[in-house]
Amino acid sequence: MVLVTGAAGQIAYSLLYSIGNGSVFGKDQPIILVLLDITPMMDVLDGVLMELQDCALPLLKDVIATDKEEVAFKDLDVAILVGSMPRREGMERKDLLKANVKIFKSQGAALDKYAKKSVKVIVVGNPANTNCLTASKSAPSIPKENFSCLTRLDHNRAKAQIALKLGVTANDVKNVIIWGNHSSTQYPDVNHAKVKLQGKEVGVYEALKDDSWLKGEFVTTVQQRGAAVIKARKLSSAMSAAKAICDHVRDIWFGTPEGEFVSMGVISDGNSYGVPDDLLYSFPVVIKNKTWKFVEGLPINDFSREKMDLTAKELTEEKETAFEFLSSA
Amino acid sequence: MLRGLFDKDNKSEPIRVLVTGAAGQIAYSLLYSIGNGSVFGKDQPIILVLLDITPMMDVLDGVLMELQDCALPLLKDVIATDKEEVAFKDLDVAILVGSMPRREGMERKDLLKANVKIFKSQGAALDKYAKKSVKVIVVGNPANTNCLTASKSAPSIPKENFSCLTRLDHNRAKAQIALKLGVTANDVKNVIIWGNHSSTQYPDVNHAKVKLQGKEVGVYEALKDDSWLKGEFVTTVQQRGAAVIKARKLSSAMSAAKAICDHVRDIWFGTPEGEFVSMGVISDGNSYGVPDDLLYSFPVVIKNKTWKFVEGLPINDFSREKMDLTAKELTEEKETAFEFLSSA
Repeated sequence: MVLVTGAAGQIAYSLLYSIGNGSVFGKDQPIILVLLDITPMMDVLDGVLMELQDCALPLLKDVIATDKEEVAFKDLDVAILVGSMPRREGMERKDLLKANVKIFKSQGAALDKYAKKSVKVIVVGNPANTNCLTASKSAPSIPKENFSCLTRLDHNRAKAQIALKLGVTANDVKNVIIWGNHSSTQYPDVNHAKVKLQGKEVGVYEALKDDSWLKGEFVTTVQQRGAAVIKARKLSSAMSAAKAICDHVRDIWFGTPEGEFVSMGVISDGNSYGVPDDLLYSFPVVIKNKTWKFVEGLPINDFSREKMDLTAKELTEEKETAFEFLSSA
Repeated sequence: MLRGLFDKDNKSEPIRVLVTGAAGQIAYSLLYSIGNGSVFGKDQPIILVLLDITPMMDVLDGVLMELQDCALPLLKDVIATDKEEVAFKDLDVAILVGSMPRREGMERKDLLKANVKIFKSQGAALDKYAKKSVKVIVVGNPANTNCLTASKSAPSIPKENFSCLTRLDHNRAKAQIALKLGVTANDVKNVIIWGNHSSTQYPDVNHAKVKLQGKEVGVYEALKDDSWLKGEFVTTVQQRGAAVIKARKLSSAMSAAKAICDHVRDIWFGTPEGEFVSMGVISDGNSYGVPDDLLYSFPVVIKNKTWKFVEGLPINDFSREKMDLTAKELTEEKETAFEFLSSA
């Protein structure tokens, strides 16, 4: 049973087909797809349901559209929480956090009450890291490790930028890292990344020989890519976000390839990189048997240290602001 | 690999695939599926060409950025343009999604006139710039007549290379039968969509089969509800597009994109043994009493990238009447459109 929230929205529209056609959970895994959105969106959701029927997807055993949490969260194996309160004109960051704490506290409690204890929860709706932490705190009977947030889009964007610069395809680039918050303080780090050039694997810094680009324009391009897409399309990046969600969930389900690691926002407890405990922070991880582990022992230079601390600081402040509201939400 | 040495179709050579209306809704749902190998196969690299009108170039640039961020290994290059001479050059496949949409107060005549202009120009561009082997799939409505216009304007490209999309209606018909019988749509095969991709289309399940408890049964036999099959079933499929628009407030991009993928994949790889699909194709030489020189949806089988009519299916009176009705509409549409062809 797979839930997608915000199911009547843009990102879900790009995502649902890929879930239904077997490219996330495999060609042999039948799925019951549960779609949750708010009550005013039920007509639109009905249209989405009609389209999924018209797609004639053999793996979709059933599609359930609902606005009720007790229906949506029941017996879930996977919960992809795309829906969140978007920032409106004139909204302060505090207001955004307050509104989202309310949503994710409720959904965390619903997970705790109705879902399987083995449920894997992937939070996409922004602010993703803090929403994820809120949900986890509100679902105490579900292991903290089952919760993650999406930084795979930034990870894929980083790969794409390196690939464009070197004239290779993005799949020839691996082991980039996104550290920290899925926000403009994220730190795209290619100190440990490798690229396949003429059949040989080379370190990215070595291949590019352009440290100032890698520490400057590369970092800001990846950090601001979301805004660049919105500026061009007048809409946010649903297609690439959906693709990143598929990558993230597929890697949880099937594990990461040998010799490769990916970026995921996870609970920072027990990390060896000097990031404070109890934050939902993006790290390099490997995954096996649906369980992630930190990639340990990567050397961190001063430039990286500063950036990693900056984004940890932002996450700590976000967490403090959000949790003011947690008790009253 | 020895096989690679003797392969006439060198799969490492990229194919050039154009999508028009590339900044729009249907393209947005379609481009990812093209780029990830699910249409042309996991070994076929692609150069993707995106065409839209000049005011949409910024939006198209955003789409290009997103395709880069999707990190698709088969996409060797993505070209965004508003110029026909760039878009249509050396094409292997052209998926013509862009067309003039109907606006408030627009008469059908105006819609046809505006679209004849677009598809005459694109047909001429195909004639001038594309490979002669190009496969052209028209999606933009009115799909059948736009397809015929493009074909007439590209005389050096075989008529058989042109088709229009009725696969969405075909998939919708399968889905309705499946819902009614409590099976999945993939257990239903050989439905037919006859005629125009409009409200006169005729969804015909007289020759369709459904897998029930491991056995293949005729759909009419399985359902035992002739009046539903001749009544509500037909109107539901005909009006499904409008129902989705009413609910979503937007047209059915996701399912349209899926149907386009099915249609193009079947052209590329052929239809499975014992199955046929629906495609709008040139009616010349058909044995079903449909007038020649119409772009009409028929049941076809496909092999070696070439389609053939499914011959010899018995047609009862009910079907005959419906097939003639949609042929009549297509003939009128063609006549109206071609008034404009010379002046377009």
